[in-house]
Amino acid sequence: MSNVDFLLPLLVAVPMLLSTVPIVLGLRFDRTGWSVAALTTTALVAATTALANAVYATGPVSHKLGGWNPAYGIELVLDEFSALIAVLVAVTAAGVLAYTRVGGPRGNTFYSGYLLLTGGLLGISVTGDVFNLFVFLEIVGLATYAMIASGDGPESAVAALKYLILGTVGASMYLIGVGLIFMATGTLNMGVLAEVLPAAVERDPTLVRAGFAFIFVGFSMKVAQWPLHTWQPDAYQHAPDGVTPVIAAVVSTAYAYAFGRLLYSVFGPEFLTSTPYLTELVVTVGCVSVVAGSVLAVIQTDVKRMFAFSSVSQFGLIVAAYGLVTESAFVGATIHLVGHAVIKAGLFAAAGVIAISYDARTVDEYAGLADEHPLVAGMMALLLISLIGIPPSAGFVGKWYIALGAVEAQLWPVAIVVLFSTLMTLAYSARLLEKMYFTPATPLEAPHAPESVATDGGEDGGDTETAAGADAANDGAAGTRGGTETAALDAITANGDRNTVSYGMLALVVAAALLAISLGFAGGFLAGLLDPSFITEVFN
Amino acid sequence: MPESILPLAAVLTSAVAVVLIVASYRRPNIREGWSVLAALTQFGIVLSMLPGVLDGTVYEWSLQRSLGVEFLAGIDFVLRADLLGLLFALLASFLWIFTSFYATGYMRGLDEHDQTRFFAAFAASLSSAVGIAFAGNLVTIFVFYELLSLVTYPLVAHDGDREARIAGRKYIAYTFFGGGVILLAGTVMVYWLTSQTGTATTAFESGGIGALAEGAATDPTAAQITFYLLITGFAVKAAVMPLHSWLADAMVAPTPVSGLLHAVAVVKSGAFGIARVILEVYGPETIRDLPLSVPGIGEVGLNVPLAILAAFTLTTASIIALRKDHLKRRLAYSTTAQLSYIVLGLSMLHPYAILGALFHIPAHAFAKLTLFFCAGSIHVETHTDYINDMAGIGKRMPLTMSAFTVGAAGMAGMPLIAGFVSKFYMLLGAGYVGGEYWLFAAALLLSGVLNIAYFWPVVYTAFFESEDRHDAKPLLEFPAGGIRQFAGDELATDGGKRDEETELNSDDDSGAGVDSEADYEYAVDRYPSDADVPGGPGGSPAEGDANSSVKTGPETAGTGHDHGHAVAHDDQHHGGPPAGGWTRHSPLTESTWLMLGPIVVIATGAVVLGVIPGHAAFLDLATEIVTSVFDANSLEQLRGPLSAALEVSTQ
Amino acid sequence: MIELELEILASHYAYSLLFVLLGIGLYMMIANENLVKKLIGVNLFQSAIFLFFIAMAYVDGRAPIIEGKSHSVGEIASPLPQVIVLTAIVVGIALTAVGLALIIRIYAEYGTLREDTLREVRADE
Repeated sequence: MSNVDFLLPLLVAVPMLLSTVPIVLGLRFDRTGWSVAALTTTALVAATTALANAVYATGPVSHKLGGWNPAYGIELVLDEFSALIAVLVAVTAAGVLAYTRVGGPRGNTFYSGYLLLTGGLLGISVTGDVFNLFVFLEIVGLATYAMIASGDGPESAVAALKYLILGTVGASMYLIGVGLIFMATGTLNMGVLAEVLPAAVERDPTLVRAGFAFIFVGFSMKVAQWPLHTWQPDAYQHAPDGVTPVIAAVVSTAYAYAFGRLLYSVFGPEFLTSTPYLTELVVTVGCVSVVAGSVLAVIQTDVKRMFAFSSVSQFGLIVAAYGLVTESAFVGATIHLVGHAVIKAGLFAAAGVIAISYDARTVDEYAGLADEHPLVAGMMALLLISLIGIPPSAGFVGKWYIALGAVEAQLWPVAIVVLFSTLMTLAYSARLLEKMYFTPATPLEAPHAPESVATDGGEDGGDTETAAGADAANDGAAGTRGGTETAALDAITANGDRNTVSYGMLALVVAAALLAISLGFAGGFLAGLLDPSFITEVFN
Repeated sequence: MPESILPLAAVLTSAVAVVLIVASYRRPNIREGWSVLAALTQFGIVLSMLPGVLDGTVYEWSLQRSLGVEFLAGIDFVLRADLLGLLFALLASFLWIFTSFYATGYMRGLDEHDQTRFFAAFAASLSSAVGIAFAGNLVTIFVFYELLSLVTYPLVAHDGDREARIAGRKYIAYTFFGGGVILLAGTVMVYWLTSQTGTATTAFESGGIGALAEGAATDPTAAQITFYLLITGFAVKAAVMPLHSWLADAMVAPTPVSGLLHAVAVVKSGAFGIARVILEVYGPETIRDLPLSVPGIGEVGLNVPLAILAAFTLTTASIIALRKDHLKRRLAYSTTAQLSYIVLGLSMLHPYAILGALFHIPAHAFAKLTLFFCAGSIHVETHTDYINDMAGIGKRMPLTMSAFTVGAAGMAGMPLIAGFVSKFYMLLGAGYVGGEYWLFAAALLLSGVLNIAYFWPVVYTAFFESEDRHDAKPLLEFPAGGIRQFAGDELATDGGKRDEETELNSDDDSGAGVDSEADYEYAVDRYPSDADVPGGPGGSPAEGDANSSVKTGPETAGTGHDHGHAVAHDDQHHGGPPAGGWTRHSPLTESTWLMLGPIVVIATGAVVLGVIPGHAAFLDLATEIVTSVFDANSLEQLRGPLSAALEVSTQ
Repeated sequence: MIELELEILASHYAYSLLFVLLGIGLYMMIANENLVKKLIGVNLFQSAIFLFFIAMAYVDGRAPIIEGKSHSVGEIASPLPQVIVLTAIVVGIALTAVGLALIIRIYAEYGTLREDTLREVRADE
């Protein structure tokens, strides 16, 4: 079954090459970006599915780029762990396009960035080389910065710059770690590293440990673990509504996947458990992030910002699970990665829909939403319920395995944090649910909404002038800006029911909600994908 | 063990009804029709399993075996109708039939908003409750337990005003703390403990999970902690102190909810869960083999702390109930007390006590549902919520108040009503065990007296007083030493709420009546002379607790008194006799038959269970459960002390 | 001990200098209020890493030009670090370009490059 391995380099190369097409075509046609992106991502979904089928049927698929020896060449590998992430990335990328067709940034350059991002994310999932991973991390970073900056208003540029600086430092930290590991072993291939690292640890434990430390700090920054999470809320809040679902769903997920890959496929459980204080450190960072993220989420007023802090907390759970080094915890982390991605994609898409149609961005403005938009409110409720981890839902399955892992490792404080995270997630989710369903839209808020809209609109005007010439991507943004502006104006006159919400957006939200629920029944299935082959290989 | 779709069908019936109810939201008659139809179908399905289950058949449906989907690695999603499950499912689905009629009458009578959401959530609650009943392992029961918390939340917060929202918040915080945190922890621990010695499992086994008993032998401390985690998880819904205060607050919900859910389905799911844990997860024998060693006392059975807590709860809650003037809140505390009967009976471990406890599940359900239906009926017809306003109401609603009397007698455990039978068996069990267990028997008896003490005033007020002249209520409602008519200066010292002289009375009323927070005005404000109850805020420590936790909740502080709100609310709570006193009604015209019918049927049910318990299925079920747990041929074998009863099982 | 440290310093002085450069870059990035200088700090930081790779790959031998026949370990420098650094430089340039583009936009919007002023301007809105 090695005949599918030719698809592996294509997964990365095709979207990256095609990302130039919208720009080229953009010289003649205005709106080809979406079609190109849609075609590409659909093909990617098909390709990843085919690859995943092959992986789960016959085992890992690998491809040596240019036929070089993996010891110094680059190898692309798709195994049971990464196949899951690759499919997730492709499906999310294709799904979110349903949102951006009408709602999101529309310029051709935006779709160039979008395809670049997709290619980078797939690269992260399939690469088998630690330096190649760095390159893909940076490609994803670049695309993300550009896409965040395509948001409304100048705030998004500031947020993007903040992210750029911190993200670059994070990636650079990782690069230092890679350098140290390379010094110790002389190879960059993950598979080879896994073989030679134990010997290297014996020879010079400090070097390998220092390398691990840099890698850990770098990924804590990328995955947004407290206290290195500060870029994330700004980035998520100010990114265009069509971009946040992708970033929140798959960018952080891909980073967390890469971290897990390094921990388990490169360093290996033995190194993790034998190094003093290592697991304790990882677990502590994760647990602190769970608590800090939830607490900060509770006090937020902006809904997207609240979800961003929720991501900090949920990824804390995943990092903590990585640190537990038990089979159940690892399965839990993987499932939670997938589940959280689906949930967050849906939640951010729903928040975008609500922002467009109802002009509500803060928790208070969500009051009475259930009466106005029963469908979106209902789906958002379902997604929040999944996030809390009420069974049967994706959130519960991940939490079950992580909790089980914590108990198996007999790390009781971690088990307590994991279990209490339910209550902490409940604290901010219930706040939103209560606003949507049990708080009537009070007339008191009416004077506020138009006022804030007016100030926004004012800036937007100036923004459009300056930005339009500079960057073609902003044209698309300006277009949407005009859209939201008129929507806002309508909101003043006709109580905000301007129909800019497309069926595609609703379909995305509904699909995410249904998927989040149905994943709740797939706990055994997902565990089965990983369990016999991958887990045994890693843990024994 | 036959593969059967019936348990799933029972659960899905009301889940499908949810969809149909939402779909037909424009046509109320059809919508309520679905409710009734689903209730009848569900009851029919459950009933059809009764003969088989009594013969020892277990109907089981498993997700893995029927669809090939593995719920979690190593854990199946199983619905199985066994004896214990059928007891609860039969009860819930039977009572739902009448509640759906009653709810129709109630909601229409009050012209409530969001009725579709109400009926949909109600049907979903029943689905979850039956799911809890039929859950075949701890994970499945956890799934439905969480779903039940979730779908009952809209019912508690139904009113959508501030009070309801706060109650909803408290409700959801308590129930998810119990379910999502504690119960999940316990479930994970069971899975882990059983994996220590063999295949990991959480499936219920009559008499206890074998692998767990082995695991408990190797790691007794972890097993003890797990036991208390599971019990605490379920005890939250069973409102065992100190986790009870959500129940009284949840009474802001419409009365059918308070009746069926917060006296039967939800709270009983907690008690039912405890029954599952004691009888089918650990089993009496394992529990006996895991004594706690308490410094200074020596070895104490694992069950004893739970029994003490239950005994404490049933006494204290009864005392608190005495002081409640709001009828539904009084009933709520009565529920808290009665649920602890069940918990106490189960935790005494003796077969007879367990039999009594199991039979108390339906016995209390029938009696308490009658009481709640009466309270709701009174609310709909006269907008009266406070016992103080009910003087002479027996003239206005003779049938309702008669039913209330029957229910109250059942609560107190009077012979010929259902409550007597269960209490009788529990006393018998306590007696067989002897020793310190006499204390528990004493608590049961004392609580019976207290029951009379807090229900008799209601009956007395309704029938033997007239609206223009009625006495002070007996016992604790008034301070010893009589009524102080001149509230002004003396009150300043203890009440301390003197900033507004004119509102002084109302403040103190609410302090004694419901809640020391004077956020809303009650109807009693209009009749200050009727309810001149000087008493400081916070009648008892527990009540004080409840209040302070409400206050410290987020967003409650600082928002202050919402006046427009209070006015709107006042309208709703307008109560008490009309200007010319109650008009006399015949039993046939006092209310709509949509409400009267269910009241009569349920009250009759309570009597039937008391007079001929042997012919009403529930006692048979309970007996079968006990004999199968103890592996005995008949109940007679199990007489005598606990150790002897456990010996029977080992033969 | 001191001798050992001195020896390390003598033989590994390049690393020490590079980590000083790393620190300068990091400090500049954190402490400087000017956005452009922050970006220069990031660049310094990255350059230090590139140099670190170069220093690591240095051996007393030949340049990594492989002419078909095999060489023993240590005879020629490993080509991988050079490749890495080349790639990383490209990545770094791309990042700088994006960063500068963002800074231009920020300057156009707010008329300032200083972070403290920016904070004030944003707080006023």
